[in-house]
Amino acid sequence: MTVKRLSAPTLLLLPAVLVLAAVVVVPLCLSFYSSFTPFRLTRPETFFTFIGLRSYRNILSDANFWWAFGRTVLLLTIALNLEMLLGLGLALLVEKASRGQRLLRTIMMFPMMFSPILVGFQFKFMFNDNIGLVNNALQSLGVTRDAIPWLIEGHLAFVAISIAEIWSSTSIFAILILAGLLAMPKEPVEAARVDGCTPWQTFRYVTWPFIMPFAYIAMTIRSLDVARAYDIVKIMTDGGPAGRTELLWTLVARTAYSDARMGVANAMAYFSILLSIVFTVYFFKKLAAARTQIGAEW
Amino acid sequence: MAIVSLKKLTKRYGSMEIVHGIDLDVADREFIALVGPSGCGKSTTLRMIAGLEDISGGTIEIGERIVNDLPPRSRNISMVFQSYALYPHMTVRENLGFSLKIAGAPKEEMDRRVAEASAILGLDALLERRPSQLSGGQRQRVAMGRAIVRDPDVFLFDEPLSNLDAKLRTQMRTEIKKLHAKVKSTVIYVTHDQVEAMTLADRIVIMRDGYIEQVGTPDEVFQRPATRFVAGFIGSPPMNLQEATVADGKVVFAGGQSLPLPIRFKAKVNVGDKVVFGLRPDDIYPAGHGLHSGDAADVHDVELPVTVTEPLGNETLVFAEFDRRDWVSRMLNPKPLKAGDRVAMHFDLSQAHLFSAETGKSLRA
Repeated sequence: MTVKRLSAPTLLLLPAVLVLAAVVVVPLCLSFYSSFTPFRLTRPETFFTFIGLRSYRNILSDANFWWAFGRTVLLLTIALNLEMLLGLGLALLVEKASRGQRLLRTIMMFPMMFSPILVGFQFKFMFNDNIGLVNNALQSLGVTRDAIPWLIEGHLAFVAISIAEIWSSTSIFAILILAGLLAMPKEPVEAARVDGCTPWQTFRYVTWPFIMPFAYIAMTIRSLDVARAYDIVKIMTDGGPAGRTELLWTLVARTAYSDARMGVANAMAYFSILLSIVFTVYFFKKLAAARTQIGAEW
Repeated sequence: MAIVSLKKLTKRYGSMEIVHGIDLDVADREFIALVGPSGCGKSTTLRMIAGLEDISGGTIEIGERIVNDLPPRSRNISMVFQSYALYPHMTVRENLGFSLKIAGAPKEEMDRRVAEASAILGLDALLERRPSQLSGGQRQRVAMGRAIVRDPDVFLFDEPLSNLDAKLRTQMRTEIKKLHAKVKSTVIYVTHDQVEAMTLADRIVIMRDGYIEQVGTPDEVFQRPATRFVAGFIGSPPMNLQEATVADGKVVFAGGQSLPLPIRFKAKVNVGDKVVFGLRPDDIYPAGHGLHSGDAADVHDVELPVTVTEPLGNETLVFAEFDRRDWVSRMLNPKPLKAGDRVAMHFDLSQAHLFSAETGKSLRA
């Protein structure tokens, strides 16, 4: 009686499959399953009560959830667009530097070297209405005499969070776009100058199409980043005041750990992932189109 | 209508001077080739004319207008780059029409001029393709089309054929020549390939280390090279050049062998002068296998051993040892020869050149 031996390819793949199953597939399945139960951390037996799509129905009819969803999309839109513009500007400036470009590139990366938690603390201090740098500066410059309640008024808090987010991540755009600028051939730009283009036209018709794929790569990375924004918000406002800066993942975390409603939180999380997938697919399509357009060979 | 005039044109990068105050006048509709080894400043000169490099000193005039401080777009020039520099995200049609679009030309005029250029260059079937779908030769034609469409005062070519394979290069060379005959613009053409320069240009400018060595028609630079450098640069295979000392009625080479001093140099040199003796491969040939144009009295016979032969079909390059060095000779109507054979060589001294060993300048009248 011979034991049937596994074929070599199966055997070689087995460790990877086992590890992946243990750390990714099983937890994923369990969490997905739990989104169909009223699972509460405090009452483990609820894990085995199947309630179908009830949690999904509940969150989709919950105004707070939709507000958080909408705010996340808004933050994404504002942050990505401004980061794109600022990053592009920075990259163009740094590319022009004939000396010390290395140094500038390193300095440009500084914001990325700090933990988002620390960035959150730093901006929380800067925007503090009593002792913060921002109000102090505005008052010293005579712009205002009032203490602007940056982190206390809902809209202003959202602005403050956006600024922190943009400050910490503009360099991703700058670095990727700079990479694009450095990689692009110089001759088409020279040809455009000879062909009669003003500097703006050269940028618009020649440089921009070249760096567009790089911008889309940055967009993809950052859309995933912002769609799961948590740390900066948690530190600066913790979703407050009165839930006015609540984003998807601060809401998910609050539901999961403060309220211990893991089942509902998982339902929210799975719904939120849709958002990320949509953005990723969208930007990848754009990226592919942009690459084809410039005939990129990468 | 454009005359291009360079006056004391200088280019410096920091303290390094690359182009040393050169003067050059290009006539209207003239085809000028700037030729020289890499690093001689020819491309830099062209780029200064285009406005892609700042000018460190001197002036550039195009059409009697000083353009030193004008951006490239205001100089009414077209440039064809070595790497084609097409816009990869535009179709051939868009590439051709781009400059007109930028200039805000009406649609009909744009279509007409693109159609004209495309007809001249045979691009009609390719108009909707993108550069990535074209071969090297086709890309280069699009690049030229883009230059023609602008109807510029001056065409600038920066080594346009260097990226093509040998066969295509010959073919495109002919096309460029035909093109110039059709569009009749002033052309400044940079190349490191002396054959391209010889075949295309009305006049050739030979540059070296940021100086102009000689300006002349292909015939002049070939027949009457002004310097030893030009003599060695123009012509393929290059001229045989050997250092020698003038003695009584002859030139004596380092190894002790000598050749009679050609008569027309008698008054130009003194005994003891250090010179460089030059003779083209065409003017050294095995008896009966060359083209001798001059006086029989100018032909000097030497029997030499053959070291290497390079058969080319219609002719064979024969390397023969004279004064312990290899001299190249061109054998027309070739007969089989092998290394070690001794051959009676004719040296046609009426075609000989002498250069001062010190200054490199030609001693010819």
